[in-house]
Amino acid sequence: MDPQALTRRDALRLLGLTTAATALRPGLSAAAATGEVKIGLAAEPNTFDPHLTVGRNSQIFIANVYDGLTARDGQGNLVPGLAESWKRLNATTWQFTLRKGVKFHNGDDFNAESVKFTLDRATNPETKATISSELSTIAATEIVNPFTVNVTTKTPDFLLPVRLGELFGLMLSSKHTAAMGKEAIATKPNGTGPFKLVAWTKNEKLLLEANENYWRGAPQVKTLVVRPILEDAARIAALQTGEVDLIAPVPHVRIAELQRNDKLAIKTIAAPRIFHVTIDVRKPPFDNVKVRQALNHAVDVNAIIKTLYFGHGTRLATVVDKGALGYDPSVQPYAYDPNRAKALLAEAGFPNGFETEFDSFTGSIADHSKPAEAIVGYLQKVGIKAKLNVFEFSAFGPRRVQNTTSPLFIYSIGDAYLEPSWVIRWLTQGGLGMHYKNARLDEMLTKIEATDDSKKRAPQYSAVQKLIKDEAPFIFLYQADAAFGMSARVDYTPRPDETQWLYPLRLKG
Amino acid sequence: MRAYIAGRLATAVLVILGVSVVSFFLTFLTGDPAEIMLPPGATAVQIEKFRAEWGFADPLPVQYWRFLKRAVHGDFGVSLRHGQSSLPLIVARLPATLQLTVTAMLLAIVLAVPLGVLAATRRGGPIDLLAMSVALVGQSVPNFWLAIMMILLFAVSWGLLPTSGRGGVAHVVMPAAAIAINLMALLTRLVRSTMIEMLSEDYVRTARAKGLRELFVTSRHALPNALIPLVTVVGLQFGYILGGAVVIETIFTWPGVGLFTIQAILNRDYPVVQAAVFILATAVVLINLAVDLLYVWLDPRIRVT
Repeated sequence: MDPQALTRRDALRLLGLTTAATALRPGLSAAAATGEVKIGLAAEPNTFDPHLTVGRNSQIFIANVYDGLTARDGQGNLVPGLAESWKRLNATTWQFTLRKGVKFHNGDDFNAESVKFTLDRATNPETKATISSELSTIAATEIVNPFTVNVTTKTPDFLLPVRLGELFGLMLSSKHTAAMGKEAIATKPNGTGPFKLVAWTKNEKLLLEANENYWRGAPQVKTLVVRPILEDAARIAALQTGEVDLIAPVPHVRIAELQRNDKLAIKTIAAPRIFHVTIDVRKPPFDNVKVRQALNHAVDVNAIIKTLYFGHGTRLATVVDKGALGYDPSVQPYAYDPNRAKALLAEAGFPNGFETEFDSFTGSIADHSKPAEAIVGYLQKVGIKAKLNVFEFSAFGPRRVQNTTSPLFIYSIGDAYLEPSWVIRWLTQGGLGMHYKNARLDEMLTKIEATDDSKKRAPQYSAVQKLIKDEAPFIFLYQADAAFGMSARVDYTPRPDETQWLYPLRLKG
Repeated sequence: MRAYIAGRLATAVLVILGVSVVSFFLTFLTGDPAEIMLPPGATAVQIEKFRAEWGFADPLPVQYWRFLKRAVHGDFGVSLRHGQSSLPLIVARLPATLQLTVTAMLLAIVLAVPLGVLAATRRGGPIDLLAMSVALVGQSVPNFWLAIMMILLFAVSWGLLPTSGRGGVAHVVMPAAAIAINLMALLTRLVRSTMIEMLSEDYVRTARAKGLRELFVTSRHALPNALIPLVTVVGLQFGYILGGAVVIETIFTWPGVGLFTIQAILNRDYPVVQAAVFILATAVVLINLAVDLLYVWLDPRIRVT
């Protein structure tokens, strides 16, 4: 008998579990929040004004206080948030049907007026919104009735529902914002989210309390005390001593050691940051696809993951991350094969390799300089002598803006929307040192972008990944894991979009 | 005396202005905050638009002039990151930094003076050897390493002290000790060498000849004179202590000026960097002035006429 087959007893057990789970569910959501969890994070948000957030560390946290029109589930799928449903009326108009009966923390009603106010504020140049680039397609927001809004865009934008999610579509109360003023919103937010910000002493701690009237049901933990603990060693020490119950991130080098501690649990998830080396395809010899493929065969990416990330990373075949819509695991990464690389170089007319330059930088959110050193070393082995230039991140930025980067440079992009088209469009924008263009790719993406249904969009990305792999406009690298450390008191499952969404956090026992 | 103080204050203004020029251009030489402030998906066009809107596209001298005009009114601009006026943000963090640095200084003095005196009076003995070993280790061990070791030992292994953050007295012990150790080592050496010098002076021999007890000779005659250079060194070291506080505040997430400034530098939050530089430079200059005046008062030999 096939041991994998479902036996009658298994079926009965499954049935029993399902019934129990169904019976428990309403009980859970009706229960009031209890207990306190202390959390240590590497950074705190710069502000709770969703339009003036700086850096991913702010955006991934403040969603705990607000809601977007759309949201993500634990697997990263787009699900309804403050909007119950949405549809594209025509190429440039999206209609959102809003959830009824939702209230802001101070009791204000959430309705179409809140949406119009929020989006008008975000797109008003006077707001000087730091996130305006993410909402730059929005032309106008129109109230159809108290629970329906139409958002028109300057050009067709299939991503609008995703943009208006938890990163850039957090909803404000118009009354509260007008009454409190700009500076006050930064520290006294009034959202519809699962937690209310009670107190905030910058650099010391944030105190959040459960929103008992949350529309998804009250969160299970009543009080969250969030401490910014910048130094990795101090943050881990705080977890080890029980000063905090949950920390993020845990540096890769410490994961194995902490996993041996049976009082702690470490959970990792592939973070949507896509590491890659941009190749300037305009400059010979990189205009030759064989040279670009040779570069990909030359670098032992698995060894880099193993040594620099202690195995906590995922090799990527292209620039589409594992959690993204339509990620196709059947597109295999380039094999590490220095002989093949040399053969390709010889075919391209460079049997003895060539000299070039490679830019990397320090001081950004993730380490790019160490992988860059490793890559340059691998290139050397197949005869490509790349001179490595290391910049400070904020000095490297202007080089990209002025398109004065070297023919090769390492970079990483966070796939905030988990949507390959967004990443690829950015990587082929023709600026910031990225100059790869392909008419067929463009056509494929345009077709995908005209498809509103994500289920129909997903399979179309397979061909895109194959094409990009073959064209090799980048040295494809990896995505690193994000690691969370927690004590035995709590249970938390990180989400694949990097968000520190604390609603599902619960105390054990 | 008044003219002397006025002169010194005038020099102080020039020093602070010079520091502000240097820090302004140095921070700008390493890039502007556009890319750090915008979401990762921003395109080249959007980055340029942002730079123009915030005035980062203007030539540096223009930006510096704009900064200076406001700064003379005490307005260093609104923090790019926090959206609040930057000077009050820094001022609000001064008490935490003062608590830390003053504790560290007192700790260093309280430990160094007796140790140095004992080492000097028992020259070549085991206490001297111990004091000099402590001084050697204290001056050569990097304070960030010491800080992390202390966290591992006192917080993780022994559970005696909290790992980081600011709260009760227990919270200040490790960060203050990490800052103090270097200064303590320096002061121990200083006290020892000046005490040795003083103990061989004629007036000490006279005091001993009068039949005074050795303890009295050491504590009343030699020590006060040996402490005069200590005052100068402590004053001069204050700048270094503030520098050390930047590192130590970061390791312990101590919510002071140092931590706030380092974050501002990393984020290219110029208004905050400028306000911090102004406050810190002013503090160092004023403390040096105070030390000089104190010195004049303590030591009549160098009194200006």
